[in-house]
Amino acid sequence: MTSIISTLVEAWQELRINKVRILLALLGVALSVAALTSVVGLGSLVREGIKAQSERDGGRVATLTLSVNGPSTPDAEKLEKAYEGIQQRYGITTSTHVGRTQAGFQFPRGVTAVNMTIVDIGYGIIHRVPLTQGTWFAADDEQRLAPAVVVSEAFYNQAGRPNLATNPRVSIPGDQPATAVIIGVVPDTYPDTPPAAFILTKAAAMTGMKPDMTEFKLWVGEEQANALTAAISADLQGQFPGYYAQAQRVDFAAWGDPLGPAQWIVGGVAGLVLLLGAVGMLNISMVTVRYRVREIGIRRSFGATSGRIFVGVMMESVVATAVAGLAGVMLAVAVVKNPWIESKVAPGLTEFPAFPIEAALLGFGAAVLVGALAGAIPALVAVRVKVIDAIRF
Amino acid sequence: MTLPDEKQLHILRGIDLEVLSGDHIAIVGRSGCGKSTLLNLLGLLDVPTSGELEFMGQPAQRLSSNARARLRGSTVGFVFQQFNLLPGRSALDNVITPLFYAKGKDFWRRRELAMDMLDRVGLSARANTMPNMLSGGEQQRVAIARALVRRPRLILADEPTGALDVETGQAVMALLDTVATETAAALVTITHDTNVAALARACYRLDSGVLSPLARAEAGAHS
Repeated sequence: MTSIISTLVEAWQELRINKVRILLALLGVALSVAALTSVVGLGSLVREGIKAQSERDGGRVATLTLSVNGPSTPDAEKLEKAYEGIQQRYGITTSTHVGRTQAGFQFPRGVTAVNMTIVDIGYGIIHRVPLTQGTWFAADDEQRLAPAVVVSEAFYNQAGRPNLATNPRVSIPGDQPATAVIIGVVPDTYPDTPPAAFILTKAAAMTGMKPDMTEFKLWVGEEQANALTAAISADLQGQFPGYYAQAQRVDFAAWGDPLGPAQWIVGGVAGLVLLLGAVGMLNISMVTVRYRVREIGIRRSFGATSGRIFVGVMMESVVATAVAGLAGVMLAVAVVKNPWIESKVAPGLTEFPAFPIEAALLGFGAAVLVGALAGAIPALVAVRVKVIDAIRF
Repeated sequence: MTLPDEKQLHILRGIDLEVLSGDHIAIVGRSGCGKSTLLNLLGLLDVPTSGELEFMGQPAQRLSSNARARLRGSTVGFVFQQFNLLPGRSALDNVITPLFYAKGKDFWRRRELAMDMLDRVGLSARANTMPNMLSGGEQQRVAIARALVRRPRLILADEPTGALDVETGQAVMALLDTVATETAAALVTITHDTNVAALARACYRLDSGVLSPLARAEAGAHS
């Protein structure tokens, strides 16, 4: 125990004494680690951003969409029964209809066409809809006489950004005029997007909104996704002979990791930078060992074993790069968690994830590994020093 | 030893020397006569190619390099001609260095032990001074403190006054003798200076690798 602690204390003392030389050597390592960790951290953030955006578009992992197409439109009532039956048979609890249409809303500046998405309550779960204000639909919203709507920021701005606590209303003129209540606000999917809103299926029927097209989505466990896709397709096909019925995955993970290749390339470049840092560190360590030949001989005369000299020289490198790694990781955290950078890298996110611990561990681990590799070769040279020659060096 | 052309070179021959606790031995000889080789053998820095070398009852040739290093660290203290203080470290840090290789309380109490030893050589006031700010005599006193900080049984001094003026050299030798006597350590001084040799209680001459006793009167006459 004493020998481990004394080796560490000795290594730390050497670092303290040679701080300027080591600081210069470590600058490259620290920057390389910062680059590597930032790439992984930013990659993770971008991945979260893309995932959030993909979930808003296609649904979370794993989302299936059911479709029945054929020579004529299938009977709507039979289709609904088929969907209900499938949910019961396969124990699926989260589902939604998704229909799209346009409806005119009366805003202070006049009537504006709004892109309407007609959904069920399950849509909020399946698409992990983020809210900047208010709430998503609840079960009792289906009973409202004035239909509830969840609107986009663009819609909310056109409506004059009313206080949601006052149950603000907006008029829907047309063949079946109605008044809707804004209960929640979602962020725009991209800048300058036209106004959009969500409305529940029953409420849409009440206001005379007819979707141009409708799909039915189910949220199932990722592990069962493939088996269920095949089973539900066969089930649906059996119920609609003469039609082409199928269930298919539409979530982003169905096509693999979209960010994987790019992150590998950038990670490879960062790894190369780290390698260059390691070569620089090795170079300086080799020169330093030659400069320290006499010192090593003197230490041997005091009773330092060859193992102790090896570990001592290597530990100096490892302790130094560990400190540099820590500094590099801290720099990377400061860069990745910068609010401006976060908003630019993952604009789709309203809540940013914590700095990924695996990125920090990777950066720190890489630094220690570089230290061990850059220290091992000079340590071998140090061990081969002949005590007598070294003292007279 | 074997030369690059495979020829055998006998640096030391027929050496028969016993060093006991409390002995103060001087070995004199011209440059190249094998003094340093003998010192390296005595200090377990090297092993003889033939013959026997026993260190505290243990045959040195049978000890591994690491075992010799550990034994050397705990029982031998070296004082070098060129002081060989570690640059960039204060006098105190230099004296602490051997204690990094000690175990147990000697390691944990290293600062206290080093300060005590610097105090004994009269340099506690200069503990935090860098070697390049010390005079030659002070540097050698720091080197002596460093050699003695682990309370060695054997002190090996290789030309300890070689880089000092006569007066400072005598003071350093007096200090070495005093400290060695106080700690009951054996002191072996290798020198070409017969003045230094005359201070020892036993004196040997090394000539062409052969060691022979030298009468004190002879050593004195040389000086």
